[in-house]
Amino acid sequence: MKDWRYRRELAVAALLGCILLGLAIWAPAFYQAQPLLSLATREAPSLIVTCGMVIVILTRQIDISVGSMFSVCGVVCGLLAASGWPVWSLLPAGVVIGGAMGAVNGVFIAGLGLPSIVVTLAMLVALRQGLNLFRQGEFVTLPDGVQWFGMSQVHGQIVVLCATGVLVALLAYGLQRISLGRHFYAVGSDAEASRLAGLKPRRVTFLAFVFLGALTGIAAMVNVVQSPQVQPLSGYGMELKVIAAVVVGGVAISGGRGYLWGAAVGLLLLACISPALVYLHMEAYWEKAFQGAIILVAVLAEGLRARSARRHRTDFS
Amino acid sequence: MKFSAGSAWRRILFRHEMLLLVVLIVEWLLFLHFGTMTNRRGVTVGFGTLDRQFDILRHSCEIGLLALALTPIILTAGIDLSVASLLGLCAIVFGQLTHDVGLPLSLAIPLTLLAGGLGGAVNAGLIAGLRLPPLIVTLGTYSLFRGLAEAMTGGAVTYTQFPSGFLALGQGRWLGVPAQAWIFVGVAVGMWMLVHRSVAGRFIRVIGFAPEGAQYAGVRVGKCLTFVYVLAGLVSAAAALVYTARLGQAKADAAVGYELYAITAVVLGGTSIFGGKGSVTGTLLGVAVIAVLKNGLATLPVVIRMNSAEELSGLLTGGLLLFALVIGMLPKLLSAVCIRR
Repeated sequence: MKDWRYRRELAVAALLGCILLGLAIWAPAFYQAQPLLSLATREAPSLIVTCGMVIVILTRQIDISVGSMFSVCGVVCGLLAASGWPVWSLLPAGVVIGGAMGAVNGVFIAGLGLPSIVVTLAMLVALRQGLNLFRQGEFVTLPDGVQWFGMSQVHGQIVVLCATGVLVALLAYGLQRISLGRHFYAVGSDAEASRLAGLKPRRVTFLAFVFLGALTGIAAMVNVVQSPQVQPLSGYGMELKVIAAVVVGGVAISGGRGYLWGAAVGLLLLACISPALVYLHMEAYWEKAFQGAIILVAVLAEGLRARSARRHRTDFS
Repeated sequence: MKFSAGSAWRRILFRHEMLLLVVLIVEWLLFLHFGTMTNRRGVTVGFGTLDRQFDILRHSCEIGLLALALTPIILTAGIDLSVASLLGLCAIVFGQLTHDVGLPLSLAIPLTLLAGGLGGAVNAGLIAGLRLPPLIVTLGTYSLFRGLAEAMTGGAVTYTQFPSGFLALGQGRWLGVPAQAWIFVGVAVGMWMLVHRSVAGRFIRVIGFAPEGAQYAGVRVGKCLTFVYVLAGLVSAAAALVYTARLGQAKADAAVGYELYAITAVVLGGTSIFGGKGSVTGTLLGVAVIAVLKNGLATLPVVIRMNSAEELSGLLTGGLLLFALVIGMLPKLLSAVCIRR
């Protein structure tokens, strides 16, 4: 069989297309402008974090602390807004706070060479409980003019979606065409080879974590402007959702392979399940089970492909 | 033997477990000195009382069981994120078997263990059979098992009113010690024998060091991995029974987030996440350090006033984990610096 370049990504997109088509036939009510717009806006923060996670996983690392970082960024941004900072200043604030937390991860992982899953596990627990300790689960009430940037809801949603779209497109372009983007691929494919080729793998890995932190800060900001209050638990479980999207989207967990747009399609697929269940009159409690099944199918397909590839290689040798 | 007596002592003194033991003793003494607490009857109980220690044991049993199940898996350089979800699923299965189907305990308990084994077998089939990455497979089953538990109960049903004979497993005492402690000790001894005193344990470490090499050395890698993951499923089911008996209820959100604490305990215990290195004793000490910290903080007057034992212990556990990692890296870092000079 001919090996297409985007085979995996197209398969996921086709599955998403099937679900959307099925909804169009059996539940046309799904295609109303307002609920659809709300769904897309609700998923925008996860999409931004997914982009950062793609970068980290491409460099053969993983970060499971994004959920906690997301919550911390959201609450701190909310507190800043409540103490009178203007809306536009929240974005750089979020980027700085998130980037700083990403840098802490990066120092431990790239600087000291500690395993990323353990370091970010420690960060996940420490940040989540630290936030609980200082806020005791309190909501932050935002001043007027922060929700939807002081615009009407529809306009605010459109602004959020456009900004997210531009950001994702820029990142997707950068990963393919800018030299730093290619460095992430190179380090993830083979760190030692990339070092011999003149790159600095540790610096690249460090940057990947800072990028993810900064993007998480932006995502938290995009989440903050959507409601009149900031929930301290807003990022709970986000890490698993985002990693699932990346895996479903065909980014190899062993690093160096995959495309950002694939992960974005993966996230859309996972995000569509819950409304699809509702509109098809099934119990919404099945959502998690379906998400798990989709992850397993995705990894199964990948494994079978790798296995047949191995078999072909031995045939020829 | 070329080793002198001094170097043998040094090897014992500078082990990771020794560090944990010191941390544990320091923690214990601190809480003994500063901790007080009023119990249900309004009597002030110090940290040092036997009741208090048994309480700690009771509350750390489930996380301890999960951590024990994870130890051999992490020794093979694998990971299992789905243990706590499987615990939730098994709790629901047990609840349905006893309540909706109406089976007696003597049938329901083995069937629940079987369900746990089957859950582990799903992981094993994908990881050992098809050689898929454990992190992603168990991330999938993490969602799948919890999702099935939620779907089976409609997210709302809670099973309560278990027979008192079963509740004794989680709340009663047997020979003066909390009943579940016997299960915990049994599993711990079994795991210790498996990891440190059996051929299979050797193989598990070999796989962790070099899976390819193990294959060429004649180790049946697939069989070993299958065994380890199915065992984790069985132990998760046992933990589900203990959890249900302790709380007297089975709910779909049983033990959410326990996998993080279990993994933390294993890694804190000195088991390398890259496999091959680690011990069951280390895991037990890791569990003890976390459990004493959590329970001890709840006895400090300052913490009681702030009502933040859970949060503070989480924060400190995260910090302790990073600290243990950095300490573990120190010899390597120092030698790297020395060589550069």
